[in-house]
Amino acid sequence: MADRPEREVRRGRKGRRKVCSFCVDRAEFIDYKDVAKLRRFISERGKILPRRVTGTCAHHQRALTVAIKRARHLALLPYTSD
Amino acid sequence: MAEGKNLYETVIVTSAKLGEEGSAELVNRFKALIAEHGTVESVDDWGKRRFAYPIQKQTEGYYTLINFQSNPEFTAELDRRYQITDGILRTIIIKRDPRHVAAQKPQKAVAAEENNIDVEAIAVEAVEGAADGSAE
Repeated sequence: MADRPEREVRRGRKGRRKVCSFCVDRAEFIDYKDVAKLRRFISERGKILPRRVTGTCAHHQRALTVAIKRARHLALLPYTSD
Repeated sequence: MAEGKNLYETVIVTSAKLGEEGSAELVNRFKALIAEHGTVESVDDWGKRRFAYPIQKQTEGYYTLINFQSNPEFTAELDRRYQITDGILRTIIIKRDPRHVAAQKPQKAVAAEENNIDVEAIAVEAVEGAADGSAE
């Protein structure tokens, strides 16, 4: 089996279709207390990663943003680092 | 009034300056306050945690999670009490969706995440130490 389906031949960059990890997990809500999970969705500088990087769907990205901001308020996650 | 109750969760971050007992006492005061106006479902003590950034020049504090039920009016009063209490650095009150309550899991994972690194490092050291010992 080819790594990527034939119909999805894009010019220039080859890419793999990203799947929203929250949809895969059937996550109903995103917990602001789950620091380990949230950390995967912030950059080294503490910024929230865009959907195009993480592949999160719009629905979960909105929920994720709220969760990260709550975690930041409680100093579980940084607003910025260095 | 039973139908007027909502599910809430609140996290209290108290200053590490209070010490373990001071912080526990403060949390107990709020537990009693919540119990007066509603019902405390569960209390989860996360212990002392390092902040992601300094708050009032402090680098760590005690985190406590309280799940409770109460009337929606009470949250404003609780928040007001939080604001006027010394030794509290951060608080949050979140309304829990009753549909998600079943899916809730205890926050052991948070503590485990931090301990993990140490445990692994120690394990590696121990293995190396054992290998050295047997070689000699």
